[in-house]
Amino acid sequence: MSDSVELVWSRSAVYIHPTKNNKDNIAGYLSLVRPPDGEILISWVPESLIKLSKQDYESYVQVDLSLDGEVTQKNQVFVSKPPSMSVGSLARSSHAFSIKLSDLYSMQMREPSLGWWYGSILLFTKQAETLPVLFFHDDESEVEKRRTKTMQKKRDDWGGEFFMEKLENYVDIRPSTLEKGVYLINPSAQDTLAFAPPVTTSNEVSGPNSAKAATWGDLKWNIFEKLAQVTRYSRKASQSMFDRTPAPLRSMLNIPEVEQLGQDFDSARVFLAEWALGIVQDQEDFQRKNININLNTYDSHFDDFSIVAQSIERRNPVTLEEWESFFDENDGRLTVTAEEVKERIFHGGLEPQVRPKAWLFLLNVYPWDTSAVERASIIAEKRNEYYRLKRKWWENIDMQENDSFWKDQKNRIEKDVLRTDRNIPLFEQSETPHPDPDSRLAQSGANPHLEQMRDMLITYNEYNENLGYVQGMSDLLSPLYVVLQDDALAFAAFCGFMERMERNFMRSQEGMRDQLSTLGHLTNFMLPKLYSHLAKADSIHFFFFFRMILVWFKREFEWDDVLRLWEVLWTNYYSSQFHLFIALAILDLNKAYIIERLHYFDEILKFINELSMTLDLDTVLTRAEELFTKFKLALDLVNWQNNQSEDTKSQTEVTEDLRMLLSREIVDQREQARPPGATGG
Amino acid sequence: MPPKKSMLKVIILGDSGVGKTSLMQQFVNKKFFSQYKATIGADFLTKELTLDNRKVVLQIWDTAGQERFQSLGVAFYRGADCCVLMYDVTNHKSFENLETWHDEFLLQANPLDPENFPFTVIGNKIDVEEGKRQVSAQKAQRWCQEKGNFPYFETSAKEATGVDQAFDVTARNALQQDDAEGLDQEYPDGVDFSQYEQEPSGCAC
Ligand SMILES: Nc1nc2c(ncn2[C@@H]2O[C@H](COP(=O)(O)OP(=O)(O)OP(=O)(O)O)[C@@H](O)[C@H]2O)c(=O)[nH]1
Ligand SMILES: [Mg+2]
Repeated sequence: MSDSVELVWSRSAVYIHPTKNNKDNIAGYLSLVRPPDGEILISWVPESLIKLSKQDYESYVQVDLSLDGEVTQKNQVFVSKPPSMSVGSLARSSHAFSIKLSDLYSMQMREPSLGWWYGSILLFTKQAETLPVLFFHDDESEVEKRRTKTMQKKRDDWGGEFFMEKLENYVDIRPSTLEKGVYLINPSAQDTLAFAPPVTTSNEVSGPNSAKAATWGDLKWNIFEKLAQVTRYSRKASQSMFDRTPAPLRSMLNIPEVEQLGQDFDSARVFLAEWALGIVQDQEDFQRKNININLNTYDSHFDDFSIVAQSIERRNPVTLEEWESFFDENDGRLTVTAEEVKERIFHGGLEPQVRPKAWLFLLNVYPWDTSAVERASIIAEKRNEYYRLKRKWWENIDMQENDSFWKDQKNRIEKDVLRTDRNIPLFEQSETPHPDPDSRLAQSGANPHLEQMRDMLITYNEYNENLGYVQGMSDLLSPLYVVLQDDALAFAAFCGFMERMERNFMRSQEGMRDQLSTLGHLTNFMLPKLYSHLAKADSIHFFFFFRMILVWFKREFEWDDVLRLWEVLWTNYYSSQFHLFIALAILDLNKAYIIERLHYFDEILKFINELSMTLDLDTVLTRAEELFTKFKLALDLVNWQNNQSEDTKSQTEVTEDLRMLLSREIVDQREQARPPGATGG
Repeated sequence: MPPKKSMLKVIILGDSGVGKTSLMQQFVNKKFFSQYKATIGADFLTKELTLDNRKVVLQIWDTAGQERFQSLGVAFYRGADCCVLMYDVTNHKSFENLETWHDEFLLQANPLDPENFPFTVIGNKIDVEEGKRQVSAQKAQRWCQEKGNFPYFETSAKEATGVDQAFDVTARNALQQDDAEGLDQEYPDGVDFSQYEQEPSGCAC
């Protein structure tokens, strides 16, 4: 039977996810098979393909279910030879593959975690073939169900581990000391040195005069070159970017150990970074000693988002069940880190039922490390505080009648409340006549929510004396009120939001000016072609982003998307100013049109204004994350280059405001005391 | 050869809530919606008019009324051919502030001949009941005469009263200003007319 192979190990419910859409996931079997020639293959075959033969199917099921996934020598099981990658279109279109163990170069294990729903593994071959990511849907696996029943299942184990355990019987697996989760398969001495260097104290390894250091550097250099080739090869492949960036490349750029390894390693890192950014056109062009980064060359290559030094995917929103699982049942404290929760929210957002809970954390109404009891008491405090503040102006009849500033502000607030999100059911026109026909709000009938909005804003006007109410704030408050449906809590959350938004509303407009200017620098740095086009069009004041920045894209996205976007931004996951990367992403997604068609400021303003309600949030978020990743990479590169070059003239200048974009601390810009006689205008 | 068309740039200024957005929408799109959102930043609409056989395109700029937002928004004041100063007849304060709007505009737009730069003044919301009115027509007219014989109109964006007349005169004054500044002069940030007429040819999309 030359066409049959021995099924050594097999596991069901191993999926590939060809698209982001769950509906497209393909279930299959991951297995180790031994052909007659004896060299073991790793194969993945879709279940549907296996089911074509009843006998095969039964064999796969049988091997999967033999609890430790193994069959004994006596009891060999044979199945049809799985399709290999290169044969026939059937294999290609079904995504099935099989590779020789000797061709396996490395693999990356991604444990099931908050961020990744399912554990997954990525296999990298020596030929840099593009293999699909394998996701272990353990919850659907029969064998896991049995292990759970028979109490064999431990808390953290998952399908990928069993695969690796099994694999260890046949190959030498060496964990990379440089990045967690990456394993080298039968590594050569060179590979081991490069990716799994023994963890030593730095003086053992480096030191410019040590002969060891010299070879050490050369060696790494080779490896990096090899990697770079892999990258270039992969670039041509046209599957999802995620599948093709080799894990070692992705990881090299970001890990502290790399930074410690000294200069030669550093240059390798730069080399890699350049590859990742697509700057190096041709390997021969590349001069190791004198890298001249011309930022203008970035732009054209940035179009190619297939190469990003990180995998970027949006995930499902956090469900109520998942949210609750983050907290201890007894005392209500987080059982995971706040960082993990934020990462999760950054990449997936929240389901609507979770928002009233999670937003209070995100907006600093209470800290992440509180217990349920502590939170209840904070809420009680905030509630008292709100009613106390509100009563203060409510009871001050003298001010209400005689203070012209106060009266002005009240008018302004009422006028704006009447014009804010009136399409949202909560704020709709009421048929019931307003009890006080002289109230300005009377024109909307008796709608208590409009009154609440007004009262919260007047209270804020009193609470933040220096700033007072400024137009745009009603736009920021209304989603908080609609989601929280509680005036005192919405007020507390609003105060939290305003901590970072205060800079947008300053009398001098300094905060807005700063942000528009930073956006200009960022565009110049990341999209220089577009920037010089905008300069020709007299538009580098970036005024056309004023609205987007002032109220955080409230007018550009549909209501539900605004809620999603804001919760993502509140995490400060990459940067407290990630909103500027959102703006950059919007520019980037439209730059071709702008450069080709729009030549004057008014045309550009019109075009940008009309993007409103046409933008797809996921696309924008993904692009923003890609741009951030590239930004960080490019800054590293520039830093390195500047460190190399003594000559300050040849250094690339990166302004302080751009460096600040890496900070996760909110930018604290406060309004000054209101000068006597100043109006609220 | 078709007669040469002019692009006339008009800026509407006035306190927040006087009805700038409502008036512009009424004039260009013939509709009134009581819940336009407060304007943030700036936007403009264009409308083609025929004035004594001459075709002109009116580009009407609508801006945010809150003062502090003006400081960044002056980018588009430049090249204006006429400025509409607008107040709300039910709000005396908005009338008092016309002075500031007027001065601020001249300062920022920096026209060649500020003495003769055309302004139009509009008192809006005349549909409201007489008792709520806080500024009389006479008072407003007097101010307009003193400032430089500015044409004065009373409108209701809500009921579309007086809107077309106000813009007709505004457009004529703008055209005169445009001619005075030299018809053939290229606008520094003028608009390529072709985008309003037809898609430019030769586009690969
Ligand atoms: N009765 C009446 N109300 C009007 C009229 N024009 C506008 N309004 C109302 O006045 C309020 C403000 O109108 P907007 O057009 O938004 O005012 P704006 O001047 O553009 O305000 P900002 O954008 O904040 O500068 C809205 O509630 C309108 O419905 C009018 O002619 N009559
Ligand atoms: Mg407006």
